[in-house]
Amino acid sequence: MVRFIATRVVQGLLVVFGAATISFLLTSVSGNAVDARYSNLDAATRARLIHQYGYDQPLPVRYVHYLGNLLHGDFGPSSSVSSSPLARVGNALPYTLTLVGCAIVLATLIAVAVATYGAIRRESRVAVGLRRTFMALQGIPEFFVGLVLVLVFAVQLGWLPSFGANDASSYVLPVAALTIPLISTLTRLMRSQLLDVLGRDFVVALRAKGLTQRQIVLRHGLRNSAPPLITYLALQLGWLLGGTLIVEVVFGIPGIGSLVVASAGVRDVATVQAVVVVVAIGYVALNLLADLAVYAIDPRIRRPA
Amino acid sequence: MSAADATAAAAAAGRPATRRRRWHRVPGSLRLGLGIYAFALVLAFVGEVALEDPNRQDLASALEPPGSPGHLLGTDVLGHDVLSWVAHSVVTSLVIGVCVVAISAVLGSMIGVVAGYVGGALDAVLMRVVDLQLAVPPLLLFICATSTLGHSMLTLILLISVVSWVPYARVVRTQVQLESTRASVAAARLAGVGRLRLLTVHLLPSAAAMILVLASLQMGFVLLWEASLSFIGLGIQPPRASLGFLIAQGRSSLQQAWWVVVFPGTMLALLLLAANVTGDGLQERLGVDVEMVER
Repeated sequence: MVRFIATRVVQGLLVVFGAATISFLLTSVSGNAVDARYSNLDAATRARLIHQYGYDQPLPVRYVHYLGNLLHGDFGPSSSVSSSPLARVGNALPYTLTLVGCAIVLATLIAVAVATYGAIRRESRVAVGLRRTFMALQGIPEFFVGLVLVLVFAVQLGWLPSFGANDASSYVLPVAALTIPLISTLTRLMRSQLLDVLGRDFVVALRAKGLTQRQIVLRHGLRNSAPPLITYLALQLGWLLGGTLIVEVVFGIPGIGSLVVASAGVRDVATVQAVVVVVAIGYVALNLLADLAVYAIDPRIRRPA
Repeated sequence: MSAADATAAAAAAGRPATRRRRWHRVPGSLRLGLGIYAFALVLAFVGEVALEDPNRQDLASALEPPGSPGHLLGTDVLGHDVLSWVAHSVVTSLVIGVCVVAISAVLGSMIGVVAGYVGGALDAVLMRVVDLQLAVPPLLLFICATSTLGHSMLTLILLISVVSWVPYARVVRTQVQLESTRASVAAARLAGVGRLRLLTVHLLPSAAAMILVLASLQMGFVLLWEASLSFIGLGIQPPRASLGFLIAQGRSSLQQAWWVVVFPGTMLALLLLAANVTGDGLQERLGVDVEMVER
């Protein structure tokens, strides 16, 4: 167990290191942030700024410098505000975590319910109808869902606020915008996983013992399909929730999405790099948690090989 | 009519009936997807040929509702014709989508086939890149890169391609590893087939179905990324039309004009649906499961 965790931690550190490298390369190879930000500087000021941000040094030197500072959590000075990039990410993170956490919990609950119903009443009209609806909803971009929700619930009905993060009610629409497309993806995965489990031999044995379809699905199907799903979800989470960045912008939630978009707009490279590294760390931590959860759920993994 | 009669009638009718039957064997989802793509192409063509320049501003007729004369889908806050803008945006979307998918499919397949065949250090590096690619949402990487890069269409295509080749490499690598254990491959090697020919003629074709399915599914992601980036102002910039830009434009006048958001948004959703169902349909028709390989 200790060894397993140690391996995963080392792999995770590699991923974080890689993310730091990629964000450095993407923002460095193409030129420097000083030229990208200011087009009409006099030569002396430009030279001073370039020297201040270290752009006059060769790429490998800057890279080593960057990695060294990174170990102290130092991403260099932000080019637009006085507070440190890491502190800004720290301030923004709670908003994003609230948004993403609510969306995942809600989407998972609904997806489990829908997929379970679909497995119990396999070819009923409701089950097939639900499946088709979710299939159509699957590809819809979160920001469009968000704008339609604003149109209906904020502009037309005036029930909910459409902007800002002042109280719980301002989270309703953004969470819904993230949840609706996510439910579709999750339901689909749940369903294929459940069908896979329900096709195995032990299910035939259970049925021969006289269990009803409902008992088989609820007691045995769900439990057996959980571990691969948890692993898969944790792996794909970064991709599934890329839309969060945009949804935050749409609803004016001051999370890391709004932060990174605003920073990229004003060429604040240090803050953008900090966001990429923090997201990678979050992803690695989450996958470690998922591995531990699977370990807790599935006794077969605990048995020594 | 009995089954025998039907077969006889089909035989008598010759090719058209066979063709029709073949069309019926195509999964419904694939037909839906191809239908939407066809609609998008027609719209794009009509837009290029028959509609006014999407950049023509006419402040006198700003925020006209749908159905007003000359503006079937209405106008935005600057008086741009929504229909024309959507039609021209479809061209932008499809060009970016096709270019990115083509570049990343070729690049990824080449890397995957070599990594799968050679193995060793190269393979290990590839798998770490795969880990890494999952850890950072692609959209975040694009935003990161746009902080120093420009916003031209070519930049965007290259940028998205640089990130999107990874799934192909992963899938092709797995397939090649499976395939190279086969006796036929060993026989080819014994017969003196060169390494390059072995890779391209004997190993790569076995992954063709996978590559096709991945490409059709990936089209959706690329369209979504382009629209998202353009929406936040870090992607395609006017005068080139893009759905994301129009949606962002409409967001500021959402109180008065729903149509500026809803029409381009629906077009985007339709394109994404087309990509998804085409991928699903191909998966079903070709009997491969990309998700299983990815796991």
